[in-house]
Amino acid sequence: MIEIKNLEKTFYIKASFSNRKTVQAVRHVSFSIPSGGAISLIGESGCGKTTIGRMLCGMETPTSGSIIIDGQDLSTLKRKERNRLLQKIQLIHQDPYQALNPTHTIQQMLAATLKKMARQKKKGPEWVRQRMDELLRLVGLDPETILFKYPHMLSGGQRQRVIIARALTVEPDLLIADEVVSMIDVSLRLGILKLLRDLRENYNISILFITHDIASARYLGSNTELYVLYKGMIVEKGYTEQIIRQPHHPYTQALLSAMPILNGIEKPGKDRFVLTSQFKQSDTDPSGCLFADRCPFSQPSCSEKRPELVQDGDSYHACFFPEVRNVAAESV
Amino acid sequence: MTTTETAKTVKAFKPNIYQGHSFWRAAWRAITRKVSRVIGFLIIVMFTLMAIVGPYLYPKELPIDPNNIYAPLSWKYPLGTDFEGTSNLALIITGARYVLLAAALGALFTVIFGTVLGLIAGYFIGWSDSVIMRITDFFLTVPSFPLLVVLSTVWNFGHPLAMGFILGITSWGGMARAVRSQTLSLRERGFIEAARGLGLSPFYILFREILPNVSSYIGMNLLTSITGCIYAEVGLFFLGVVPFHVNNWGVMLNMAVFSAGAMSSPDALPYLLSPLLALLLLTLGIVLFLDAVDEIFNPRLREDI
Amino acid sequence: MANVSTAHAEYQQENHKPEMAISARNINVVYATPTGKIPAVRNVNIDLPKGSITGIIGESGSGKSTLIMAIMNAVTKPGKIESGSVILNSKNDLLKLSSEQQRKIRGKEIGFVFQAAQNSLNPLRRVGQQILDLGRSHDVKDLRGLIKYAKELLARLGLDADRVLASYQHELSGGMRQRVGIMFALVLKANIIFLDESTTALDMLSQAAVLEIIRELQKEKNLTIALVSHDIGVVADLSERIEIFYAGEIVEEGKTSKVLSDPGHPYTKGLIQAIPRISGDIDAAEPLKGSSPDFKTYQQPGCLFYDRCPIRTDACRESRPELESIGKDHKVSCFRVGADDRN
Repeated sequence: MIEIKNLEKTFYIKASFSNRKTVQAVRHVSFSIPSGGAISLIGESGCGKTTIGRMLCGMETPTSGSIIIDGQDLSTLKRKERNRLLQKIQLIHQDPYQALNPTHTIQQMLAATLKKMARQKKKGPEWVRQRMDELLRLVGLDPETILFKYPHMLSGGQRQRVIIARALTVEPDLLIADEVVSMIDVSLRLGILKLLRDLRENYNISILFITHDIASARYLGSNTELYVLYKGMIVEKGYTEQIIRQPHHPYTQALLSAMPILNGIEKPGKDRFVLTSQFKQSDTDPSGCLFADRCPFSQPSCSEKRPELVQDGDSYHACFFPEVRNVAAESV
Repeated sequence: MTTTETAKTVKAFKPNIYQGHSFWRAAWRAITRKVSRVIGFLIIVMFTLMAIVGPYLYPKELPIDPNNIYAPLSWKYPLGTDFEGTSNLALIITGARYVLLAAALGALFTVIFGTVLGLIAGYFIGWSDSVIMRITDFFLTVPSFPLLVVLSTVWNFGHPLAMGFILGITSWGGMARAVRSQTLSLRERGFIEAARGLGLSPFYILFREILPNVSSYIGMNLLTSITGCIYAEVGLFFLGVVPFHVNNWGVMLNMAVFSAGAMSSPDALPYLLSPLLALLLLTLGIVLFLDAVDEIFNPRLREDI
Repeated sequence: MANVSTAHAEYQQENHKPEMAISARNINVVYATPTGKIPAVRNVNIDLPKGSITGIIGESGSGKSTLIMAIMNAVTKPGKIESGSVILNSKNDLLKLSSEQQRKIRGKEIGFVFQAAQNSLNPLRRVGQQILDLGRSHDVKDLRGLIKYAKELLARLGLDADRVLASYQHELSGGMRQRVGIMFALVLKANIIFLDESTTALDMLSQAAVLEIIRELQKEKNLTIALVSHDIGVVADLSERIEIFYAGEIVEEGKTSKVLSDPGHPYTKGLIQAIPRISGDIDAAEPLKGSSPDFKTYQQPGCLFYDRCPIRTDACRESRPELESIGKDHKVSCFRVGADDRN
């Protein structure tokens, strides 16, 4: 069980010697992932979703708020104990071409951590070999052909599988999958998504799935919760299928509308709209709704006060004028 | 996560043997890919052999031939003779050991100091970086050749190890800076972040993850600093600031110019030109071989297709 | 009309089709490697009808970038164009022009937008300076007019024109760079635009916005567009016709809606099934089996898709199917797809 409460992150950017800009990347984000559960964070680039992932695996320190792993608050722990807990959270990078050392064979990569695990478990080299074999088969690779290859000999999909196998060597409880499919061919994406779902369902590993593509979030299993992030704030949450069918927040609707239509087998939803305005990182924080400047449905009152995430029936959203719009593409 | 698969699917394999072979085989393939690399390699091998067995080929005191002082090139004296009638070829061959050993040690020290300090400064950043870089700046600012001249007056350079150490000490600065900047960019790469996330030790990350990625750079620097060191030590001997304990190429140059007057008398010209020829040939060999280094250390280029 | 190939003339006679902006015939590109010659593009015929959007779909390693380079006569070593003709506007054969003439045509008549637009911008010069450089290298007399037109385009693309012209590439976001890339492709008033994976690196919102802009500009200026991508979704959204490219050959072509609703080739079927979609049954989706084509795939004598094909027969290993018509404007190269033996 991993829980985050009121997580905040502010970046300070030096604009010149005297003044510095602040960018609030994450605002009051809370959620919990039960073991074997999954959460998807959706939003465009710059919305703070990657920062949340990096804070969870210890690469960034939260400005405020707490990360609780198995009932222990990370910030109260000593460094050694904290690092031990953080090992249980592994990040899968979005760029499979950067995340593997070009000078190592797959065998060397996996052996590095497995040897360490073997020492902890007091197991011999035979165990390391078995485990290597087992993990590669688990992620759908053939150990015989892959072990002595260098990363540049593998395709994007194979690399991503190797990266997942490497993360599994330390027996994590949570995998943070940060845009894991965005850099590989569309035809291979489903394989990786199915693998993540398999890890969840059969090995009880939780998944935090970070993406800009709502469609890929559907393939993680039906009980996946979807959190829509805009400028670091959760603007809507709910189960994936439910949000696709009944989006309340205009930003969620914009994301759904942005999915390309497969002419011939899909037709656009009747309320579909395409947002052509650019995402801007403003210097000053508006007092009203963060999305008001781009929202096609905003009212004058939207820029006066900021809406909070509230429960409305069985959905949660942060909008003063929620309205279900039929924007997602439908099968013909 | 529990172990569900059984061991029966596991087949035995011998990774280490496989890999040991593949590196040397690949290195050999890289060398033989171009004629120029083979020539460079052969020249280096020739000089190495000269340094190892050269002194055993001749008596400890080289024979002198008072009848053949400054003899021209002939079958008996392929490179002529010196002021005592000693064969120049014999002088070159017996002198190679000191010159090459000192240069190799000097290059080795340069590379070891430069790499280790550069890696540490670049990876740990913070105070260790500041301290190491200030020391580096100091060594980069002090002009190394004059420093060598000064040091040589107080230090005995009879042994090549001492010479090599001094050469290394004065020339690692540039190397450290270059390795540091490469490390700085590598530490932000995904695979280093992943290694940290997997809880691998800094020692492992520095020497097993980062080091192989700068190895081709280090290999090239090792070779180029060998030539640098040779020039530096030969220069010291040529200037005569180091006592002549042994015969070597630098001493020959010094004698040729200052005692034999090779600049004015054409008779002594072979005496002057033969050490220069040796230097030139060795440098040529190293330059030709350099081309192969990148391919040897980079797995992407090492591959056959 | 002196240098039009006879094959092309015949083609024009038997089909009274719309005029072609680019008509490529029999393109063959071969890569020489230590292990032998690899036919990276084999006997490809592609037409880009004037004023329409054509999609070209291919996985990484399918040779689609080589094809585009071949059409532009810009194949680099060790690749070599063995044969073929690329007729531009029913006039010149691009493959027979001198390199100076080709350079003039690139930019003025044909524009390019690459996947990594950031790599095609010079990091050391402002965008405005680069537009002037481009103008000078194409002997544009009215540089003031060029900048004015660039500003117009940028505004059209939803950007703050003055700010962008004064920016370096690192000051622009990914979506903005891609729009600047489109501006560069259009600024010399090219009518034919190649978009090579130009939205792949963008997030969904920026991608949708860029696609929308492309769609509008295409209508407005009657552009001819070739949209090259591995993402069948992007291509299906925008293009009227698609060409499915696999291991250097076209395996299926036709009207987009027709190919998607009734795909013939097993590869096309597999591709469509493998797309993560927001509509449809999750469990019906199936990843494409096997791995992307590699150099061995290109060298086999039989059907290129043999290794991954769910409906293969022994005959498929022996010989290679040709592209044949299976319906109105719908061609497939597969032995198992035809009038009687439909899967």
